[in-house]
Amino acid sequence: MKRIVTMKGLALLAVLLAAFLFFHPSGVKAQAPIKVGIIDTYTGPPTAYTYDVRDAFKLAIDEVNTKGGVLGRKIEFTTRDDKFKVDLALSMAKELVMNEKVDILMGTINSAGTLAVSEFCKVEKIPFLVTFSKSDKITGEKGHRYVFSITENTVMIGKAAAAGLSKRPFLKYWIAGDDYEYGHALADGVWGNLKKIKPKVELIGQSWWKVGEPDLTPYLTAISAAKPDAVIFATGAASMVNAMKVAKATGFAEKIPMFIHTATELATLAPLGPEAPEKIIGTSNYHFYYPATPKNKAFAKAFRDAYGRYPKVGALYGYLTAQFIAKALEKAGKMDREKFIDVLEGMKIDSPVGEVEMRAYDHQAMLPMFMAVTKKVPTYSFLIASDIVTIPAKEVMPGIEEIKKARGQ
Amino acid sequence: MGFLPTFGPAELLSQLIVGLSRAMILFVVCAGLSFVLGVLRVPNIAHGSLYMIGAFATYSFSKSLTGSAGFWLALLLAPLVVAFISLVAERALFRHLYQREHLMLLLFTFALALILGDLVKIVWGAEYRSVAAPDLLKGSISMLGSSFPRYNLFLIFIGLLVAIALWLFVNKTKMGKISRAAAVDRDMVGLLGINVSWVFAGAFVIGCCLAGLGGALVAPTVSITLGMDHTLIIEAFLIVTIGGLGNMWGALAGSLIFGVTQSLGVLFFPQFAIVFPYAAVVIVLLLRPKGLLKSVW
Repeated sequence: MKRIVTMKGLALLAVLLAAFLFFHPSGVKAQAPIKVGIIDTYTGPPTAYTYDVRDAFKLAIDEVNTKGGVLGRKIEFTTRDDKFKVDLALSMAKELVMNEKVDILMGTINSAGTLAVSEFCKVEKIPFLVTFSKSDKITGEKGHRYVFSITENTVMIGKAAAAGLSKRPFLKYWIAGDDYEYGHALADGVWGNLKKIKPKVELIGQSWWKVGEPDLTPYLTAISAAKPDAVIFATGAASMVNAMKVAKATGFAEKIPMFIHTATELATLAPLGPEAPEKIIGTSNYHFYYPATPKNKAFAKAFRDAYGRYPKVGALYGYLTAQFIAKALEKAGKMDREKFIDVLEGMKIDSPVGEVEMRAYDHQAMLPMFMAVTKKVPTYSFLIASDIVTIPAKEVMPGIEEIKKARGQ
Repeated sequence: MGFLPTFGPAELLSQLIVGLSRAMILFVVCAGLSFVLGVLRVPNIAHGSLYMIGAFATYSFSKSLTGSAGFWLALLLAPLVVAFISLVAERALFRHLYQREHLMLLLFTFALALILGDLVKIVWGAEYRSVAAPDLLKGSISMLGSSFPRYNLFLIFIGLLVAIALWLFVNKTKMGKISRAAAVDRDMVGLLGINVSWVFAGAFVIGCCLAGLGGALVAPTVSITLGMDHTLIIEAFLIVTIGGLGNMWGALAGSLIFGVTQSLGVLFFPQFAIVFPYAAVVIVLLLRPKGLLKSVW
């Protein structure tokens, strides 16, 4: 009799214990997650780029989380659409910090929006990782302790293009582009550096059209009348596709060599399909088929398996950002913003494009640039970059002296 | 740095032809906008969105068949898709609003433009799309030592065809005549026992169909992207304003001024090319504030 009671008591105890373990919050559940807030443009044409940043970021974060997260905590992220507007970007940043209590911010594709959010982060002491804006002011003139750039900027593009173009035999150049800040900054970057490397080059004319100009035919026919040795195009995404279409239709591409930054990038070449002109010279931070390293192949495959499309350059930026965040958290040992920044400075990660270092002085990620020409291949339904030349990060980074000067130090 | 590039008569001619071809696409779209403005008195901001839908539909249809056949099919079907959308919009929404003041109509069509823009994003996504010109019209023809794209010559031809067809429609068909009459005095047309409601629906669909045709025609020359509607609608309103609101021939004159000043401006002053079409608009409006030709408003 007594024995049965004991058995019953033990069984009851076991059930209670199990229930306790099951329902008690701290028993099995890990600590609260680390929160990242993403502000970016999720409406309109920029989404052709921003979706890749977000999706690759998610891919990397999922990898980290399935391995148990960092510091025993999962990483979570929340997105906000700034609709390519500066004021919205800023209010979204505030909202994410105040309401969502995010620990880290990242984004955006709009340079003016990025600079506004960056100012806010400087005051609030929130780490901000920039994923797509190309203004050199972000880590140059307006750089500070809390902002990092994980993307190229106009100075880097200019230096890379100049390094590549100076090795080609062109002397008489024409510059054509979108009449807005990015267009002019890009043109100034390329031309200033090219003139420095090769003083013999001559600028024989320029054409500037308004952003979104639908038909570039009159511009290209006028340029072809002036017979330059080569044309430097300083265009954003939509005009670039337009320029390449017109270059093909008018026969311009066969007559006059053209340089367009990101002409060799998938985001430009995929929509054009087999209709893209060949032999256009371009630069880009990323191709899913180059470098053909196991790391890059694995990343491209994982991205394609997850989303059913090839990763574009934005995917590299998103993935790198996640890698930097995860590694910095690991190294910092806890979610401490100041510690996070200290360890991120000078951090090196093994990325799909090889080792990338976060330069300690200006917080600019040291990304290599690839110069190539467009080429038709039977493997894909679109043209790819061929004869790829890697311009190492050291050659494209802005000099630290220049940054000191820009910051008035 | 050279300011004026050197060019001869060949370059001038080719630049003129390129300008004309651009003017023709503008004309096709603006004729539709002007027709709707004239007959229905609706300043349709969503006209640009219908043009964008026309371009995206052209992309989808041209992918449905291999080779050039896809494009020719698209040129036929894309305007019909747009016509269908506009018919639904007219019967469900617009016809209840004709009596409202213009500001309300502006707000309404603006809202519709935003909704259609988002629908395009849902259906086709945010990627840039591109359509190839049919084989027959690929490449360029050289003339007098200068080359221009075959497709642009085709555009000039189509533009003239549309102009003739519209003239025949407005002047020689009963529907066209009623539309013109309704534009002048819609109450009187109603008193004559004509179903004005359906005349309006017909006029609206024809106008919008032209936006779709414009979108289909422009598809092989540009990247098809979200936002192409905004760029176009601003130019289109400028053109119908300088031409004379509701006057189709005014739309033709306005388009020619816009297209040709732009292409010649590019040739003479490439750095300031943006300014020329707008400067032309200012000059026209200073000299003739109501537009070049008679406005029906």
